[in-house]
Amino acid sequence: MAAPMALRRELFSLARILPGISHLGPRASGACTGHRKYNIVRSPLPLTSSTFFHTATVFSSTPPAITVTEEPDALFQRVSVLVKGHDRAVLDSYEFFATMAAKELGINISKVYEPPKEADRLTLLKSIHVYKKHRVQYEMRTYYRCIELSHLTGSTAQVYLEYIQRNLPEGVAMEVTKNAMEKVPDHILEPMWKDDTTDDKPSQ
Amino acid sequence: MASHTSKAILCLGRINVSGLGHQKPGSRVTYATALSVNSSAGKTGPPDRSGRGPFVRRPRRDAGEPRTEKMPVDQDWTAVYPAAASFKPNTVPLPMRMGYPMRGSVPPEKQGNLELIKIPNFLHLTPAAIKKHCEALKPFCTEWPSALDSDAKCDEHFPIKVTSTDYVSAGPSVRNPSARIVNLKVKLSSLNLDDHARKKMLKLVGERYCKKNDVLTIMADSCPLRQQNYDYAMYLLTVLYHESWKTEAWEAEKTVADMEEYIWEDSPSQKNILDTLVRMKVAGEGEDEEVREQLLGRSEVQEYKDSVTRLKNEGESESTMLQYKEAVKKVLNL
Repeated sequence: MAAPMALRRELFSLARILPGISHLGPRASGACTGHRKYNIVRSPLPLTSSTFFHTATVFSSTPPAITVTEEPDALFQRVSVLVKGHDRAVLDSYEFFATMAAKELGINISKVYEPPKEADRLTLLKSIHVYKKHRVQYEMRTYYRCIELSHLTGSTAQVYLEYIQRNLPEGVAMEVTKNAMEKVPDHILEPMWKDDTTDDKPSQ
Repeated sequence: MASHTSKAILCLGRINVSGLGHQKPGSRVTYATALSVNSSAGKTGPPDRSGRGPFVRRPRRDAGEPRTEKMPVDQDWTAVYPAAASFKPNTVPLPMRMGYPMRGSVPPEKQGNLELIKIPNFLHLTPAAIKKHCEALKPFCTEWPSALDSDAKCDEHFPIKVTSTDYVSAGPSVRNPSARIVNLKVKLSSLNLDDHARKKMLKLVGERYCKKNDVLTIMADSCPLRQQNYDYAMYLLTVLYHESWKTEAWEAEKTVADMEEYIWEDSPSQKNILDTLVRMKVAGEGEDEEVREQLLGRSEVQEYKDSVTRLKNEGESESTMLQYKEAVKKVLNL
């Protein structure tokens, strides 16, 4: 039961979260066909609705079309995604997934590298009583992987980061550093003292 | 018979309905329905009660053939693992072994292997699945403006850089207080500042200016939300800009010690060289002021002024000392 529910969540989270943009139309994505397959499979079986713990109440109508808002898109010169985990193999697989997703969405990948691992070590006594000379050492290793993307728009960054973060494996943490670039705002172009002689504080 | 079996099933609550072949792969769902009761009752036969008590454990049915045997080679894998799920050995048709081998043995097989279940798998994110997902996500992405292909152009049109960090991790709380920090970096050369405004701005910001890169960094972290910190940083920038254009009355009391760079006019060096030249009687006799002005106009004196200014501002180095030496030789006619 968990997979169909997770699948629907994945489908319609974008509708809820991405502001003003939601379009999951007749385009047959993989998730969609899987979802429809389950629907088709279930109907011939004469099972009553009480057998299902989650009934499909929310996801009935067609989602609205993509809306384009007037406000200008943010521009990110660089988006740096740092993933941390205890297992290097998991980070390898995640890096493959993230780089492939970026390529498919047409995002420039400027650098993918592995910062050196860090280990948190502690030394404890091996025995519960006496035997001070016999100790045991533990360490907790954190492996890192950094994916640097360049020249992203705000919408693209939002879509890519949401996709990446929803598929973050358990036990892996992520830090995303975004470098946005902006124009000089209008109130800083000219000093305000040129026209008026009275001194008043600039209003923000 | 039917009533008895139905009662048993309701009590037990866990029945394998492998008779229904189209169920979700690999999951043993528990349904208490009339259909399942009839089919399962037919298979196992009447329970044996001899000498065991009022309640007899139903004998366990054999598991059927694993689903992997029936999978075609060209199936759609994205339908088998559409979302993140744990590893199910009867669903993944790979002959996998994982774990530390015992002495003289091989790693354990995938049936009942906890190591395979513990580790996060990416079976739902095969390249085919990623392509399908990205196809669905493409309409939401926008293109980068093609005119801004180099960093120089970006800096020219968009000089203000705002940096912020998001944190994603599992824990008791999803919030991370470090996410509220906003860094605002701007090159002073891109702002409309005249000489006095620039110097005043540098004095106002102090440590936040990097002379090497000509970058002013404002770090805002005093507010609890990122939006608030961003607004505060922009407000600070605005105030700094406008205040640096203002000239206060007390700015007239600026002394030589407050100056950021060395200015040769009205400095002891100018006085000294002019006195020296007057004593050497280089120019003709005349009024003091006129003589001094005449001397100032000379090219050697100008060269001397440049060399001294450079020496004081840039510090001592091979080229500056050489230049000073040449200028002194010329001025004093050595």
